[in-house]
Amino acid sequence: MIELLALPFLACLLLTGIHAYLGLHVLARGVIFVDLALAQVAALGITVALLAGHPPASAAAYWYALAFAIGGGLLLALTRVRRAPIPQEAIIGVVYAVSASLTVLVVDRAPQGGERIKQLLVGSILTVTGGEVITLALLYGAVGAAHWLVRRPMLALSFGGRDLGGPRVLAWDALFYASFAVVVTSSVRVAGVLLVFAFLVVPAAMAALLVRGLTRRLLLGWLTGAAVSAAGLVASYRWDLPTGAAIVSAFGGALALTAAALGGRASARAVRARGPGALRPGAAALAALVGLAGLLLILVPAMDHLWLDAVEHTAPVVQEAFLTPGERAVRRDALQAVARGETQLAELRALQQDVQWGTRTLDAERQERLRQFLAGRGELTAGDRLVLRTLRGKARERQRYWLGVPLLALGAGGALVLARRPR
Amino acid sequence: MIRAGAAALALASLVVLAAGGAAAAPPAAPLAVVATSRDLQALVEAVGGGRVVVDSLASPQQDPHAIEIKPAQLALLRSAALLVRVGLDHEPWLGRALATLGPAAPGGTRDLDLSRTVALLQTETPRLRAEAAPHAHGFGNPHYWLDPENARAMTAAIAAALGRLAPTARDEFDARRRHFLERLDAGLLRWRAALTPYHGARVVTLHDTWTYFAARFGLTIAATVEPTPGVPPSPAALGALVTRMRTAGVRVLIAEPFADPSLVHAVAARSGARAVILVPSVGGEPGAEDYLALFDLNVARLAAALEAAR
Repeated sequence: MIELLALPFLACLLLTGIHAYLGLHVLARGVIFVDLALAQVAALGITVALLAGHPPASAAAYWYALAFAIGGGLLLALTRVRRAPIPQEAIIGVVYAVSASLTVLVVDRAPQGGERIKQLLVGSILTVTGGEVITLALLYGAVGAAHWLVRRPMLALSFGGRDLGGPRVLAWDALFYASFAVVVTSSVRVAGVLLVFAFLVVPAAMAALLVRGLTRRLLLGWLTGAAVSAAGLVASYRWDLPTGAAIVSAFGGALALTAAALGGRASARAVRARGPGALRPGAAALAALVGLAGLLLILVPAMDHLWLDAVEHTAPVVQEAFLTPGERAVRRDALQAVARGETQLAELRALQQDVQWGTRTLDAERQERLRQFLAGRGELTAGDRLVLRTLRGKARERQRYWLGVPLLALGAGGALVLARRPR
Repeated sequence: MIRAGAAALALASLVVLAAGGAAAAPPAAPLAVVATSRDLQALVEAVGGGRVVVDSLASPQQDPHAIEIKPAQLALLRSAALLVRVGLDHEPWLGRALATLGPAAPGGTRDLDLSRTVALLQTETPRLRAEAAPHAHGFGNPHYWLDPENARAMTAAIAAALGRLAPTARDEFDARRRHFLERLDAGLLRWRAALTPYHGARVVTLHDTWTYFAARFGLTIAATVEPTPGVPPSPAALGALVTRMRTAGVRVLIAEPFADPSLVHAVAARSGARAVILVPSVGGEPGAEDYLALFDLNVARLAAALEAAR
């Protein structure tokens, strides 16, 4: 595990280092999607490089991408006008959509199709090489040092405070977006658009939710970025998930947890200050959800009621209570058959794999018989699952009123009572 | 009897020669055929010769699953005398295009689905594979043109379809097909000879593209790196794969030209296998300009890789 995840984790640390810092700038400036727009402009550059006959992973393609991204960055700097009639986010969105469409137009003419472009956008953090990590370290180190040297005007520009003169604003903005373009172009090649966006926004946002002050936010952003990407990498290994998507989801989960914890703390404070009545709106919303679940169960019993599936999974009695004794026996048989079938299928698939890898040998006829048996066994298990689904459908028809009506009454009544203004 | 056959053959080749010389050819306009891939285009051209004008909707470097059809191609489809497709779920975009054209779309005998002519592999439905990795191909593996033996049935169906559309040229189509099959037989001898020394060799492929090719030439595909194209493997899957490749001594990794180079590099470097790029489609690389050249190129590359990996 360590040898597979060491390089990706190093890359994650480097990405956190520069992106948490730039993310604070981006959040303060309110240009959240600038990263996606510049990444797309860089992809357009790579596509143009393809058209010029350079393979997408070549150095030439990288320089094309960089030139395009810096050009896009300068364009964004130019369009940051004080008191402009439209928000800058609109221009960023247009840059994104138009460069994405231009990429499609150019890819259509390029000899090596859109596959590579897609791969560049998805990234491959798991298969990052040592050379790439060193390059990233040098590049981000240089960009970080440059930002440190000119931190005063940069910070003033992003976080307000002092007002600088017109042409100088443009110059510093141009420098900011150019450095941003350099970072995005390089990190997207390794990590992909989604992961880079997560590294940019989530640590900075979590830090902004939790602490004040730029230095503390930066330190907390680095800490959370490192911790969450480590968690995402481990989860990706442990539960067999694609790495980049797992890390992005871990960032999303961490942000949601932080927000939930803050919400919980705020409610606890409100309860201390104003008594349990402070929880009324939340409780009313919850009751309304319960009522809605009951209403849907009454109206469309055949649709997917995921909450009820989960309840039945942990407490099968919720379903069995609505089945006749005969149906209950059938259900138990089918459950056992599915479990048996799955263990047998797993064993035989392992055997089939061993044969494919050559660690065990079977003659051709027995291999074919194994293949056919697997197909047949799979079909039988699918049949048992169908039995379970049919029984669930029968139970739903009965749960429809016995469960749906009480839920609706409870939920709607509760919501009405709770939503009434307290005297 | 033999004499009559020889005479027919001579006559047929005369017809072919006549068709080759534009002046002597009958003034019938060539049939407009639209194929969904360059491979099918190549086969239709091999049978139809100068009697057909074939366009391919997908270029060989494109992902055939994700194509945005263009207005000019819609016009081509509408005016096509024959549509030749891979079938199964290989062209999910085609249904919408044909629906747009409505009654003008080639249908019935003008719509030739070649997947009905060959014996398919990996036909287990995804429902049955629920426990295994998800699979992009719901109705069987669609890369059947990569078994050269399948070209017999495919060209037979093409010749029959063309013959229905141009009954006067039926003999010419049959003659061209026979000529193509002779070259194919010679090719099969070459390719089998080149790969026989490695019969039973185990390889790992990046995608599920080479199932038919491997079955024909006696290779065993031990595993697929990216069972769902575009979704990279998880670290655990990659680690297990690399370990199994090491212990089982699998030394060759087959990838397509559009495969993710960093993934190919990572698997090859960690398992000690040799990566070889095989071209899945006619025209995918300069050396693979027609159906037979495609196999010449792939077999030569694969044999070299297997030899070096010994």
